[in-house]
Amino acid sequence: MAPDVRIVALGVNHHTAPVEVRERLALDEEGVARHLSLLRERGLVEEALIVSTCNRVELYAVPGEGGATGVRSWFRSFRGPKGEDVDRFLFQHEGIDAIQHLFRVASSLDSLVVGEPQILGQVKDAVRLAEDHAAMGRVLSALSRRTLHVAKRVRSETDIGRFRVGVGNAGVDLALQIFGDLDGRRALLLGVGEMGQQVGHALQTAGLEELVIANRTYQRAVETADRYGATPIAWDRFEEYLPRVDVVITATGATEPIVTRQMVRKALRRRRYAPLFLVDLSVPRNIEPAIDDLDGAYLFNVDDLKQVVEEGLAAREKARQSAEDVVKGEAMRFVQSLARVEIGPRIGVITQKAEQLRQVELARSQKLIESLDPEQQEQLDALTKALVKKILHDPLRGIHEAAQEGDALRLEYLLGAWKEDER
Amino acid sequence: MERLPYLVPIVLYAILALDHLIPKALGAWVRTHGRTVALIGTAVHLLTLVGAALWRGGTPGFPEALSAAALGMMVAYVIVGASDRLRSLGLLLAPLSVVVLATGMVVPHKTVSALAETGGSSPWLPLHLGLIFAGLGGFSLSAAVGVMFLFVRSRLKGKKNLAALKRLPSLEVLDRIQFRSTLFGFAFLTLGIAAGGAWAAASLTEPFFFDPKVLLTLVIWAWYGIALQVRLVAGWRGRWSALFSIVGFSGLIFSMLVLNFVVQGWHAYGP
Repeated sequence: MAPDVRIVALGVNHHTAPVEVRERLALDEEGVARHLSLLRERGLVEEALIVSTCNRVELYAVPGEGGATGVRSWFRSFRGPKGEDVDRFLFQHEGIDAIQHLFRVASSLDSLVVGEPQILGQVKDAVRLAEDHAAMGRVLSALSRRTLHVAKRVRSETDIGRFRVGVGNAGVDLALQIFGDLDGRRALLLGVGEMGQQVGHALQTAGLEELVIANRTYQRAVETADRYGATPIAWDRFEEYLPRVDVVITATGATEPIVTRQMVRKALRRRRYAPLFLVDLSVPRNIEPAIDDLDGAYLFNVDDLKQVVEEGLAAREKARQSAEDVVKGEAMRFVQSLARVEIGPRIGVITQKAEQLRQVELARSQKLIESLDPEQQEQLDALTKALVKKILHDPLRGIHEAAQEGDALRLEYLLGAWKEDER
Repeated sequence: MERLPYLVPIVLYAILALDHLIPKALGAWVRTHGRTVALIGTAVHLLTLVGAALWRGGTPGFPEALSAAALGMMVAYVIVGASDRLRSLGLLLAPLSVVVLATGMVVPHKTVSALAETGGSSPWLPLHLGLIFAGLGGFSLSAAVGVMFLFVRSRLKGKKNLAALKRLPSLEVLDRIQFRSTLFGFAFLTLGIAAGGAWAAASLTEPFFFDPKVLLTLVIWAWYGIALQVRLVAGWRGRWSALFSIVGFSGLIFSMLVLNFVVQGWHAYGP
């Protein structure tokens, strides 16, 4: 049984509400700041953190006296597109579920595109904003610190951020696997087929230096090049470009190979065997399959690329699973650490009280003590101290253990044996 | 006795090796603090090596040679550990240095024959040894990188299980490190040979050139020299460079063991 943690998460996100509703609730920095102070002024929360992005508006809070219901009432100030109540679009998590939700959000497990890296920065901004407005106390400060740690752990320990979907990205991933980065790299696109454009454009987005486009009808090469900021060249010049580019993509309707083994062999020699990445997206194939035997040439056809995409999906699913495990474990650990912090002051009370009792008893025997010589007095003092410590040892250890195991029932029982102040 | 502290780096390196060989066997802590563990290991390693050499009165022998080779590999390990993707090279470096250092702990202490006679007071000697083993570190890294290059290349050529490559460096990066570490190894080996020659010229009275170990070192030097030459002149990079490094390093380790146990000469460990 997990100890009672007073944290709630409430709000809308892309799972629970359509964009028409989300945009009504979305807050800019100023709005977040205003609501953070409003929430506390009205006593709805003790601590608050608001994460507002285009996919989510979420409030994390340590509720005030009104509890979770009180916090939920805050959303009454928002209206849907037709003036309706937004209450039915709200999700609500409490305790460990709320903690886990924040961990999942920051780790990009709850994102529209799972594994996208922007969300962590957005959560960081939200934390900074809440800090700037002193909206977070002990609990949420600890939670937000932990959240950033968990997100980093997920990113470094799992492959969640390493897999992207789509043919274009599969091409980019392969290019990166060969070249490391695309700085100063150039690609040649032969033909203007749909998939070819996708891969070419994805490479550009990933940092390609130059995209060169050749097409049998020159006019279409120019049009396509215009759209992507690429360089069009005449079709009969493509062979002289082979030694100068690092990636060759074919997407033409030609019925026989247009890039031959002979051409690539010559090109490889001219480029001193620096690797050449070839992607054949046409059916029938446009690049002679035998090219793959050449050292330094890495040829992928449509089926190969499809397989890369499928493997990526499978690997991402696996990565997602292990990321979820990390998040679950961390949420459990965080709850336990909170419980540990909670008992800190109460243990202080116990030891203080024991010390008081000791002093009272010593004072009662003051006359006896005064009759002793200083060394004996010291010994007596040490003796009583040791006695108190020994007696407290087992109960205190029990309390620590119960807190660590998250056993709230036993914790209350053990702590209940000590009344806070009798006088 | 003076080799006993090597147990510390051996255990630490073994932990790192295990973490690389069986991921997740040791938990996240080792993964995040691997580099610190390696640094502590190499620090203790270095102190023990220096301490043992001093204790021996300046006549280091075969155990110190193996220890220095393992140290070179672990320095390479610490260097590549800085990069997320290159970290995987530790898969080869860490286990190898455990084996080499553990061997160094159990072999009998024998010093170079000539050294026993002439004494180890020449300043050329530590220079010779340090340079040679720095070179060895470079060659071990280049061989490890070569193995990984061939692995990544075969996966790319095979078009299967490419998802597994995500945590490995790219071909071009591996090729670049492979080249640089070979160059590093070659440069240090060259200087090391020169320092050794200076020591021999100053300390030995008989001709020192016709010794099996000296000849072997020159063969190794020539091999890597050729490897660099064909790469720079003919553009034989990638697979060829990788194979050159792997063959060179395996030959180097093999002959180092064979020579030290079987063949005798003034430069051998014995008698």
